[in-house]
Parts: sequence; structure tokens; C-alpha cells
Amino acid sequence: MSLYQDVIISGFGGQGVMLIGKLLGYSAIGQGLNVTYMPVYGPEMRGGTANCTIVISDDDIGSPIIHSPVSLIIMNRPSLDKFQPRLQDGGVQVLNSSQIDPDLAEKDRVKTVSVPADELSNEILGSARLANMAALGAYIQATQVMPLETVIKGLEKAVPAHYANMIPKNTQALQAGYDAAEKA
Amino acid sequence: MKKKRTQLFALGNEAVVEGALLAGCTFFAGYPITPSSEIMEVMAQRLPMEEDSVFIQMEDEIASMGAIIGASLAGRKVMTATSGPGFSLMQELIGYGCMVEAPMVIVNVMRGGPSTGLPTSPAQGDVQMARWGTHGDHPIIVLSASTVQQCLDMTITAFNFAEKYRTPVILLLDEVTAHTRERFELPFAEEYEVFSRITPSVPPEWFHPFQDSLRGVPPMPPLGAGYRVHVTGLTHDEMGFPTQRPEEIEEAISRLFRKIDQFYPDIMMVEEYKTEDAEVAVIAYGSVARSAHHAVDRAREEGVKAGLLELKTLFPFPRPQVVKLARRCKCLLVPEMNMGQMSREVKRVNNGITRVRTINRVDGRIITPTQILKNLTQI
Repeated sequence: MSLYQDVIISGFGGQGVMLIGKLLGYSAIGQGLNVTYMPVYGPEMRGGTANCTIVISDDDIGSPIIHSPVSLIIMNRPSLDKFQPRLQDGGVQVLNSSQIDPDLAEKDRVKTVSVPADELSNEILGSARLANMAALGAYIQATQVMPLETVIKGLEKAVPAHYANMIPKNTQALQAGYDAAEKA
Repeated sequence: MKKKRTQLFALGNEAVVEGALLAGCTFFAGYPITPSSEIMEVMAQRLPMEEDSVFIQMEDEIASMGAIIGASLAGRKVMTATSGPGFSLMQELIGYGCMVEAPMVIVNVMRGGPSTGLPTSPAQGDVQMARWGTHGDHPIIVLSASTVQQCLDMTITAFNFAEKYRTPVILLLDEVTAHTRERFELPFAEEYEVFSRITPSVPPEWFHPFQDSLRGVPPMPPLGAGYRVHVTGLTHDEMGFPTQRPEEIEEAISRLFRKIDQFYPDIMMVEEYKTEDAEVAVIAYGSVARSAHHAVDRAREEGVKAGLLELKTLFPFPRPQVVKLARRCKCLLVPEMNMGQMSREVKRVNNGITRVRTINRVDGRIITPTQILKNLTQI
């Protein structure tokens, strides 16, 4: 049985969607899998919408571009409007319920895991800067695409060296998201 | 025990840098522009750490080209990288590079145009410009890549062609290929070939810098090595000095063409996928080839005998391979992110043999496997 997973991660620029995409990529490589990571962003650095597509497989990857993904990580409302209709039937989505009303999820069509990522981050750091990690933690729990430990190990590669001191906090946020998804 | 290759998870742009360094690039001059900036950024980090290597940020793309031509003549393997607007500025000196036969690699990561266009969106609008952008009749080699691994491989190939044939080589990527982060492997030294320009074996007083030979590629001494070389953009004789004599002009220009023409089989690189029994074939390059690859697999699942001819060399246009395919298939499908630049070439060589259909997309979005699949199943 071959492993295949694709995910579109989407949110505002500055919410860290690119970073968790990269982290997921590095982690999958740690598992010996093939990965592609394709970012889409506008000319602005912060405030605009940004998304990235990650494809993970133990086989060669045909296209890094996916129109109808099997899973989503949605950090804000505009992203939900854009990507939820494209999610495959029976797919999985992780919603940041701090910014999105969970009732907007198409409950009968897809599996939705809502976690208050901004609040989880607030509890750890006092700001929403770790919301991305909390969402990724929830995603790992919801899909079981790889063990959380692999992702935590991946942090060393994905986080730039001058932020290495943030790794413990990031680990905490990943775990918080994971636990929240377990309860959700 | 089998040695394991070094694995990296990096952008297409970073793979270009790795390829350039493996190929022996020791000089980079450029001016940053999205979506090619990472090539320059990583070069700025890496080159100063390599032995005897130079990185310069120039004031613009015109100067970048001037700098790499100069460095090339001085004996270095050189590269610059840019995107559409910068590539426009480089055109005049690309012609100069053809004329003085300076080996160099120019990477153009294509973005939406014309003009400033869409800096962060992919396009393939510079294909014919890469071929015909500079004035005057000239041969040139244009390559492309569709995956991150290919970015590395084709950069090495670009350097090899540049050195082998003493010509500018243009590597055309698009924003998707350049910004896709993917796992790729660094080859072992014995797994790739590195070609360096041939230097003269005769004493300086016997040396004619632009003398014809069987290969048509004159040996090239680095400036300052004791050989007298006059370099000019004017049409020159075999000593390198301007000439007005028709027989010398004819010889010089036809040699420029012949040195590339006669090695077409070496230069024209394609990759065929499931074409042996294909009834419909997709001809694609760059990131679109990747979508096409996926679409072909899915079409096969639906019972359509589809195949893919991926062009790794865009110019000289791989005519023999395309004609062979056209004779076998009932339709050729050419998807590209422009209004039909490569499909012109396909139609030209097809010359009525079979049907040619195109998919053209210019909205800054990529051509998806689904879009190609829809066309494949309709044919």
C-alpha cells in the first residue's frame, strides 16, 4: 500500500503557513519520503493571503500542484471560502477556530477538526505567533500522516538558526495543538 | 557498503546554485529580481566560501551581463540569473556574447509579463524571446527544467554546453519550478561530466583566436595568458579584427551556426514517457511537463493511450523527436503558460502530419493535471 498525502495550507501572510509547510516537508524527508512544497504568495510580505501545497508520497510525485486536495489546514476565513469547496469528499480539514466559525464547515461532506490555534499560542507565548504550529500539531493528530516526534525533530532543520532558541516553545505549541485535536 | 548521496530539501533556485558549483562556476554577477532572487542570494552566501571565486552585485542587468562576459573571457565559468524585465535588458549583450563566443549561462526564471507583469506568478512567455531576443542572426542554446532535480542536472548541462560550444546558454525556468521545494540528491563526482573549454595547444605566435576547425569551436585562452586576442562585437576575421570582406564574413557567421548545428544530436534533449504506444501525446516543458506527466497517468487509467514528450532542450528545437511522434499519434497536445510560443514550433515541424491542439493559459495560474486530462479525454 503506497502512501500518498497532499495538503494545502492557507492563511494570511505572516501567520506562518510557509514555515509549517516547510516543516512538514523536512519531517517527511526525515521519514524517508518524497516531498514537494509549492508556495503561492503575492508581492506583499505581510497581510496578503498566502498558501502552499505539500505533497508527500513514498513514490515519485507527479505534480506538485493539486487542485482538489485530500486535506487542508485553514488559518483564516478567506482561505476557508477559497479552499473548502475544493476539498475532496471525505477529506480532512483543520480549522483555526479562533478566526473561523466552525459552523461554516461542510460537516456532512468532510471531516473537520477545529482548534483555537490563536488562543493556544496565546497561552504559550502571549501572542498568536505560534498559531501555525498549533494548527500543524492538530493536523498531525487528525491525519496521523507521521508521528509528532518526527515533526518536532524536523524543527531543527526548518527553523532558521537565529530562531533556534524558539524551538522549545514551538514544540510546546505543536503538542498543544495535537492534544486539542485529540479532544476535539 | 554503498555510499549514500547527499539529500537536500530545497528550492529549484537553490538546486541551480548547487548545479553551478558542481559544474565549476567561479563567477556570478547579477541583480536580484523575483522569482530568481534566491539564486543570487545563495550564490552570495556560497561563492565567497569557494576557493578563488567572485560574487558581485551589479547596478543592473546590463552591467551583470558585461561583467560575466568579461570574466568569461578571462577564463572563468560564469553565470547570471534574472527574470523577464532583467532578461529584456540583457538582450544586447547576449548577442555580444554570441559574437565573441564567450561561454556563459544565463538563467531566466519566467514570470508573468509583459513589463513588470506578475512578479510572483508563473508564465512561459519568454520562450521565443530567449531564442530571438538579441538582434542579428545567431544560434543559441535554450534549456529548461521541470523538477528540482532537473534544475541541478540542467544547470550542469548548461555549463557543459556553454563550454563545449563557446556560446551563451539560456536556462529557462518558470516560477513554479524555481519556487518548488523538493527533495533532490547531489550526484557523486563520477556520476556527472564536467566539460571545460579547450585552451590553445600552440605557442602564442602561431595562435589565431577565431580560426575555423573541424569542430568549429576555436580554442580559448584566458586573457592575460600570453596569447593575443582581440575581442570585438564587429564581425571579425580569424585574428579577431573587424572585417568587411564578404568571404571572411561568410566564413565567420556560418562557423557560428555550424559549431552548434553539427552537434544537434548531442544538444537536443528530450524525455519520453509512455510514448511507445501513445495515440495522443502531450508536448510540454517546465512545470507544465510535470502536470502533463500526472495527466498522462490518469488518462491511461481512463483508457486513453496518452504519452508525454518533455522538452529539456527548447532550442535548437528537437525536430526529429517531435516529427517521429507526430507520425505515430493522431493528435499532439501542447499546453503552455503563454499564448502559443512553443506550439508554433510544433506546428512548424508538424507541417500537417497530424493534428496539433494547444492549451494556453495566461492568468498567472499553472496548468493543472485536471485541465490537461480534460483535453486528453476529449480528443
